Amino acid sequence: MKIAALGIDVGSTTVKMAGVNASGEMIWNHLEQVAPRVEKQVDSFLNKLKEEINSLAGIPLVATGYGRNLVHQAVKNVTEITCHAKGVYHQLGHGGTLVDIGGQDSKVIVIGAQGQVVDFAMNDKCAAGTGRFLENSAARMQVSIDEMGSVALSATEEVTISSTCTVFAESEIISMVAHGVAVEPILMGLHRSLIKRVVAMVRSVGLVPPLLLSGGVVKNPAIRKVIEEETKEQVFLPEHPQLMGAYGAALLALKVKQK
Amino acid sequence: MGVTDSLKYYWNVKVVGEPFLQWQRWQAERHPKTPSRWRTDILSPPLRIGAKTKELISRHYLEGRYANGHRPVAWVTSGGPVEILQALGFYVLYPENHGALCGVRKAVVEISGEAENAGYSTDICSYARTDIGSMLSGKTPVGRLPKPDLLLACTNICQTVLHWYRVLAKHFKVPLILIDTPFVYSEASDHALEYVKKQLENSIPISEQVAGQTLDYRRLKEIIQLSKDAAELWLEIIGRGRHHPAPISVFDQFIHMAPIVEMRGKKETVDFYAALLKELDENIDKGIGAVRNERKRLLWDNLPIWYRLRYFAEYLAEHGISVVASTYTNAWGELAPLMNKEKPLESMAKTYTYPILNQGTKYKLDTMKRMVEEFELDGVILHSDRSCKPYSIGQIDQRNKLIQEYGIPALLLEADHDDPRAYAEEQVASRLASFVEMLDN
Amino acid sequence: MNMTIPPRKEVITDIKNHGGLVAAVLPIHYSRALLRAFSIYPVEVWGPPKVDVSLGGAHLQAYICSIVHNGLSFLKMGGLNIADLILIPHTCDSLQGLTSVLIDLIQPEQVIIPLYLPRGQREEDVAFLVDEFRSLYTRFSDLTGKHPTSKDLLTAIKREEMSDLLLTKLYKNRQQVGLSNIDFYRLVRSREYLPAEHFSTLAEKTLQAATEPRPGIPIILSGILPEPMEVLTMIDKMSGLIVADDLACCGRRLYAPGTSPDPFRRMAERIVYAPPDPTRGNSIEERLKYLTEMAQNSGAQGVIFYEVKFCEPELFDLPSLRAGLKEQGLASIIIEVDINNSLPRQVATRIGAFLEMLDS
Repeated sequence: MKIAALGIDVGSTTVKMAGVNASGEMIWNHLEQVAPRVEKQVDSFLNKLKEEINSLAGIPLVATGYGRNLVHQAVKNVTEITCHAKGVYHQLGHGGTLVDIGGQDSKVIVIGAQGQVVDFAMNDKCAAGTGRFLENSAARMQVSIDEMGSVALSATEEVTISSTCTVFAESEIISMVAHGVAVEPILMGLHRSLIKRVVAMVRSVGLVPPLLLSGGVVKNPAIRKVIEEETKEQVFLPEHPQLMGAYGAALLALKVKQK
Repeated sequence: MGVTDSLKYYWNVKVVGEPFLQWQRWQAERHPKTPSRWRTDILSPPLRIGAKTKELISRHYLEGRYANGHRPVAWVTSGGPVEILQALGFYVLYPENHGALCGVRKAVVEISGEAENAGYSTDICSYARTDIGSMLSGKTPVGRLPKPDLLLACTNICQTVLHWYRVLAKHFKVPLILIDTPFVYSEASDHALEYVKKQLENSIPISEQVAGQTLDYRRLKEIIQLSKDAAELWLEIIGRGRHHPAPISVFDQFIHMAPIVEMRGKKETVDFYAALLKELDENIDKGIGAVRNERKRLLWDNLPIWYRLRYFAEYLAEHGISVVASTYTNAWGELAPLMNKEKPLESMAKTYTYPILNQGTKYKLDTMKRMVEEFELDGVILHSDRSCKPYSIGQIDQRNKLIQEYGIPALLLEADHDDPRAYAEEQVASRLASFVEMLDN
Repeated sequence: MNMTIPPRKEVITDIKNHGGLVAAVLPIHYSRALLRAFSIYPVEVWGPPKVDVSLGGAHLQAYICSIVHNGLSFLKMGGLNIADLILIPHTCDSLQGLTSVLIDLIQPEQVIIPLYLPRGQREEDVAFLVDEFRSLYTRFSDLTGKHPTSKDLLTAIKREEMSDLLLTKLYKNRQQVGLSNIDFYRLVRSREYLPAEHFSTLAEKTLQAATEPRPGIPIILSGILPEPMEVLTMIDKMSGLIVADDLACCGRRLYAPGTSPDPFRRMAERIVYAPPDPTRGNSIEERLKYLTEMAQNSGAQGVIFYEVKFCEPELFDLPSLRAGLKEQGLASIIIEVDINNSLPRQVATRIGAFLEMLDS
């Protein structure tokens, strides 16, 4: 295994790392839940890799994600916007509109024909547009994160969640549950509510097809279905949807090396 | 103006539309059995005038639908000086009123969503968002809104309208008349009134040019008189709330105020309010109150919560509570005495500088206190309206002063006049419930 | 560059020691010259950031912006006790409300003086502002017992005009001046409390010391104010350079010198014909033209709309401005902040990504 460059994406829920060879193919990756002491976690990541490939000398590392400033081994910090665009473009070979729904934020990135960021929008101040909104609400109804998508899809009807504020929405849900509304239609309504916010961001930057999806949330089948319904566009997924930030960072690291 | 458009207008409005709406009203008047959607076990049956209100509003929007090409069209803010435009034959549309209608019909989330998708922040006024959404998408529950040939924004209700109408002016590429009315902290200065008068004067040539005719001052005087007459009648109608039980609630007022907002300066508006007054007097004679078992009486402050009118009316009526007066509906009547057809521009300048929304927080507090006394009320509900800052700032202190200095129970409710997404169902319900319990203690 | 800007407290003490009166002035436009002619020294209050907001929160709803919340909180904390009067220009519904709440309901010890600013650029707007300044003159006369002559007023006006000219020159030579973003704005914003003559001296020194141009990704900052100021340090770290701005506290107050021999008219015209500002009723078209020309003249590649949450005068214009800039090939981004909070990391990510996008 000949790793030429490394990228690390320190997100809010997981830490991801990717290694590329000299021609930019991802040949190694690793994903873990984020630990409270990120610096230590990064160290152990790198040690593990070192055991596998003997030496890390001369392999540049670029850090991205909210914790990027904590990675002191990095030669450079780059925002996850640029890294996601880079990673997805490199893997799919074309531009488009990338939707990434994360725990802390959601982002929409318009990727140009050369892989450059043309425009982007982020929802980060309000939890109602993020994965956290779904997780919290699902937890309230005692549905696990892994199941919530399929449970939602099993609904035969759907309720409208009108509040755009997480706090209000939660009380809306509590009151629905209290009035005997079943879990499935509420979950479906929650997905719709989240996606509507994300689609509003897509519209604000202007959708340039194809529509691409990345981030941990792509494992949830309801997300994909509802996005397709709301945008009337087919959704494309990269092979490693969760690793696109780290992969993009590694590609940027490769560039640093080549300079 | 085109002949084809005029023919279309006459055919659709005069030949088909008006007779149909009239017939519809007759039907409704003759067979009032069509069940009210609102609970009649606790509320009295709806006022008979309702059929006429419906006819007037429907006809207004029908006229609007075919106005382009036939008559000049102006979009105007709710507190705007409309008499000059009326005298010049403009069809006048009030986007705020349309916004309220969208609120009542529960169309705001969808229509304002169009504006939000185009990048307009959810922190701007929900009327403005609904109007801009409608402008961008053509969506409206009334069929079709006519495009404006002229815009008129008057800052006497807020500065928001200034920014909102700038957006409209850019989109429609039509002239915007601005009537800037300096805020009255205690009393309007002479130079402020002169400034407003000057702007009214200067608006005339612009309006004339768009209308393609010159202003007939005799007509303007007539219209000012009609505006004044209607406003005075409206004030009397509101005043009837002094009777126990009150023959009209603010929820009725919110609905029947549409003509005083969007059809000022018309003979039929005066007739309409005369008829409404007559009906109220009959009800007073018969002892019929808006709420069947009126035990307590309240004041409403600020704009209505358009998408929850029925909820508030029914919830309170269930507890024998009638909301009989509001600072908001009062605003369209309290200035009537300032109108003077012999001094058209001067009196208009004064009238349009002094609405409650253009006056200080002390004036509003005094108004609330006066209304509580005059109408013999038991408390006040202050709607803290996220979308209307000028009306809402000061309410926290006003509420405290009502309670602490005047001993008047008062409740501050956080909501939004048009956007149900800013309304927390459960929180409002529990606050309202505790307030009702408190009134009984 | 080694430059010492006297801190606000020191300046205020100095004014007081010399028998001057202090006016706390809220945003945005007013006439400094009119105050100075009465030996009243304006010290502006933009927020300030990071105060105990629970004090203002006892009177204002949560949907009122942080500038107004903080202004009131600061007053309640005693931050304005040093002021002899508080002047509040009528800038927006929220400042209007604050003024009214102060006069009618809170009633602090200081005199509250409102100033209504007309919403247009027509002759009647100038005429109104002339009268408004005349009535302020009477008010200040009653307060101080002074009656400055036309000549006194013109002297005060020219002193401010000189200071504004130097400020404009600093902006024109932004890149040559060689200062980092944070240092440049510390200097420019000292105009908010320094007497004009002191500011002029500082500005002249800076212009003389100008050496080599400062590199950086050229951008424009638009909005009300660059608070919290950390944002400037952050942009410095990310190699961005604010080459021009459309900020209410800065670039929107580059008043051109007046021409009228009548001091009141001159003061009024300087404000009415100042750079486009939504709070004074300029159209979106005027603002777009102004921003586009600003980008052309400064070489800026993009615009950061740095907004205070809930600021309606700013929010309405943004979609049209952004679309217009896009047509001209200029990228833009909206950042929303509460001036009372420290900058969230997300803001760093957004600004960082925006600069990376411009740089690629």
